Amino acid sequence: MRRRRWPLLTLLAFGYAFLYVPILLLIIYSFNESRLVTVWTGFSTKWYVELFRNQQLLDAAWLSVRIAAVNATLAVVLGTLAANALVRHRHFRGRTGFELLLTAPLVMPDVIIGLSLLLLFVAMQHTIGWPDGRGFTTITIAHVTFSMAYVAVVVRARLSQMDRSLEEAAMDLGARPLRVYLTITLPLIAPALLSGWLLAFTLSLDDLVIASFVAGPGSTTLPMVIYSSVRMGVSPQINALATIIVAVVTLAVVIAGIAMRRGRQAR
Amino acid sequence: MTTLAERRSLEPWQDPKAVPYLRIERVTKKFDDIYAVDDVSLDIFQGEFFSLLGSSGCGKSTLLRMLAGLEYPSSGRIYIDGVDVTDVPAYSRPVNMMFQSYALFPHMSVEQNVEFGLKQDRLSRRERTERVAEMLELLKITELRKRRPDQLSGGQRQRVALARSLAKHPKLLLLDEPLGALDKRLRENTQFELVNLQERLGITFVTVTHDQEEAMTMSTRIAVMDAGQIMQVDTPTAIYEFPTCRLVAEFIGSINLFEGKVVATEGNAVLVETRVGRPMRMHSFHPMVLGTPVTVAVRPEKMRLCADFRDDGVNQLKGRVEDIAYLGDVSIYRIRVGDGALVEMTLTNVQPRTEQALTWEQDVAIEWSPSSGVVLTE
Amino acid sequence: MPAPPPNRAKHTHRTSRLVNIGIPYLWLGLFFLLPFAIVLQISLAEPALAQPPYTALWQWVDEGLLRIEINLRNFMMVAEDDLYLSALLNSLQVAFICTLLCLLLGYPMAYAIATAPERWRIILLMLIVLPFWTSFLIRVYAWIGILKSKGLLNDLLIWLGLIDTPLAILHTQTAIYIGVVYSYLPFMILPLYANLSRLDMSLLEAAADLGCRPMRAFLRVTLPLSMAGILAGSMLVFIPVVGEFVIPDLLGGPESLMVGKLLWTEFFSNKDWPLASALAILLLALLVVPFVMMQRLQQRIEGGRP
Repeated sequence: MRRRRWPLLTLLAFGYAFLYVPILLLIIYSFNESRLVTVWTGFSTKWYVELFRNQQLLDAAWLSVRIAAVNATLAVVLGTLAANALVRHRHFRGRTGFELLLTAPLVMPDVIIGLSLLLLFVAMQHTIGWPDGRGFTTITIAHVTFSMAYVAVVVRARLSQMDRSLEEAAMDLGARPLRVYLTITLPLIAPALLSGWLLAFTLSLDDLVIASFVAGPGSTTLPMVIYSSVRMGVSPQINALATIIVAVVTLAVVIAGIAMRRGRQAR
Repeated sequence: MTTLAERRSLEPWQDPKAVPYLRIERVTKKFDDIYAVDDVSLDIFQGEFFSLLGSSGCGKSTLLRMLAGLEYPSSGRIYIDGVDVTDVPAYSRPVNMMFQSYALFPHMSVEQNVEFGLKQDRLSRRERTERVAEMLELLKITELRKRRPDQLSGGQRQRVALARSLAKHPKLLLLDEPLGALDKRLRENTQFELVNLQERLGITFVTVTHDQEEAMTMSTRIAVMDAGQIMQVDTPTAIYEFPTCRLVAEFIGSINLFEGKVVATEGNAVLVETRVGRPMRMHSFHPMVLGTPVTVAVRPEKMRLCADFRDDGVNQLKGRVEDIAYLGDVSIYRIRVGDGALVEMTLTNVQPRTEQALTWEQDVAIEWSPSSGVVLTE
Repeated sequence: MPAPPPNRAKHTHRTSRLVNIGIPYLWLGLFFLLPFAIVLQISLAEPALAQPPYTALWQWVDEGLLRIEINLRNFMMVAEDDLYLSALLNSLQVAFICTLLCLLLGYPMAYAIATAPERWRIILLMLIVLPFWTSFLIRVYAWIGILKSKGLLNDLLIWLGLIDTPLAILHTQTAIYIGVVYSYLPFMILPLYANLSRLDMSLLEAAADLGCRPMRAFLRVTLPLSMAGILAGSMLVFIPVVGEFVIPDLLGGPESLMVGKLLWTEFFSNKDWPLASALAILLLALLVVPFVMMQRLQQRIEGGRP
């Protein structure tokens, strides 16, 4: 089965190049002195300096990070509950509908989610007076609604792989169901909860379309700032921002990878 | 060698006044439309080492899980020490279980695993430490106490699981295939250890196993299960020597079965005419009506070579050796007899193999005594 | 599955049910399902110079008299104006072609990863997921610099002497294809990998042993067995791409109109909320069939597991 693998490997290399060359170019040109992104005039870090002086962008980034953190936490709670429901209560009335509601946000186009939630918020404000204005709360609610579905996928996979007899053993040793869940189940699915949290955080930090619909004046998120700046044309500041994001993500992944390997070796 | 069952003088199941420690009363468990356990009643006494034996899917594990409180019967009651525990959830039952997979908590050390149940009982820290130390000592795993389950060998894990399930000093311990995950050699040693431990602690053990040898060596009594029902409950000796039905006879060890019908009764013996030709005279414990279709069951090791074959002799057969399986200590001979049926005979290899009496294609006569088999009616 | 346990256990069981099923259900019902009803309602209203900018669907005219006005103006507009229809069709076309391209590139990649040596697999997979964690918007933005007429790609091609005049790629349909395949490729590869890595390779060895040539073995064994992964990946790409906004907005041009972009324009530029709602309803209707297909498939995969 080993022979003639090179066409496959060539394709694989091409695929990775396709995925990474644009990112690499972004990074390279973030150190370009020229404002024209495509003409190399010399090495410079001035765009980074400018980036950190861009108060509007920094404010937006701070808002986005706060929304993302709150969103991720709520999404993990709700997504885990939903995963429990699907794995632990195999038969309940309305299960099909439940699954449908939980899968739809994964693929639903952003424009539909954004528009429909905005219309809901407007209607709710009209009838019950809440939410009063749009901003942090409405964006967070919107983000939780779709990111909990992602969390549910991740946690569900982990939960259904788990050996049920561990929980049964705990129960047999005298632990009540809630205690079993807290002392056995949660620690065992913790890695899934963590990756679910990070996923939800990233999804929120990344969202332009939904936030644009449900944000009010004065609540501008990072992607919204990036978008308006990109619409104006190519801007080296965005390259600098991209470089920082890539660096942070790569660092996080490398740390996670090392931690996982350590964890495995310790056993 | 005396069997463990014989070493126990106490046989409460034969005492009509004895009160069972565990009483299973007409318990049925249905999964959708399938009867996993079908109207099972059992009395198990204090200090017994009781085995539920059967092939996979016979309902033995489901029955055990109902005793643990991990499943609830569809109907019937379960009493432990006179208390109806049918509806009591697992976490409130005075029963502990050792799981087939051991179910050791992977995120806890050996010590923490053993301590888990004690914590649920809100014992003081000192008591817990003492009890954990006692359990680790008992199972000789004190030096493993800081390890995590994935740093243990199969045998070590089994000990930890045992320590954990014994830590709460349960009166009744349930063991689901306790030796199933061990290799053969370790299994044999562990069998004896398990029995010694049980005798020392005086705890009632109920185990589930599909391994008949394991059940035979360890148990005071065995319940053979099939299709959710109990086929026979008895001591290992009785199960082996006096099976009450074909299924039990065939499940435990190998056996020769001759179908026929009763042609005469002579005191406590019956004369059975079978398809292999010669009439067979066997002892029977209950009276039988003439013409009843029966099966004569004789174990291969009860067969012996016949020195004086007579044309009118009972319990005698003539045939030709067709196959020999040499197992070292014994050899199994498959002998083709009169009507084409194969009869198995086991002979101890007293002489070295080269000097053995029987060889392939040899004509032989075999016989057995009326008391070395049973007559089965079903 | 434990049967409904009696007494004390029943109580905890019921509480757990209520919490685990009830809370997420309530959230999704309120913030995901209910909004669609409102979208439907507003798609049947008329725009108005008001706050919010649409007419009410029903009104209590008098005591006991309820006036409901259903206005099909928005759907008529969509049906009569070529702009909307061609945008809808173009969205489907883009989604279809891009799904196919993702599959053509993603399948061999997923296969190569799944058959790579164990220690490489995690790293290769990590590298597929990594771009996903960086900003989607910025990754699309990267292509502007590459594809524009004085961009890096044209520079490279001219420098290589392959072309004399720069190609116009940015603001064309081609740019959209590139952007979509680039952004959605991981969504195709991941389910395919999950499927292929579970595939028992001894099946291929058995096929080879029975005299089946590699290509034939692939077509008759691997491909049919990975159908579930192919369909799952395709749906994960197709459905969201139909309503994609960022990519057609940043990379596409006036000829490559897609419905997501149109909806955005109607909403934000023209402030025509009812028309935007009507477009959302039509888009939703288009996606129902592939979505139900995906759902069925998922249930079948789960049901098929031992």
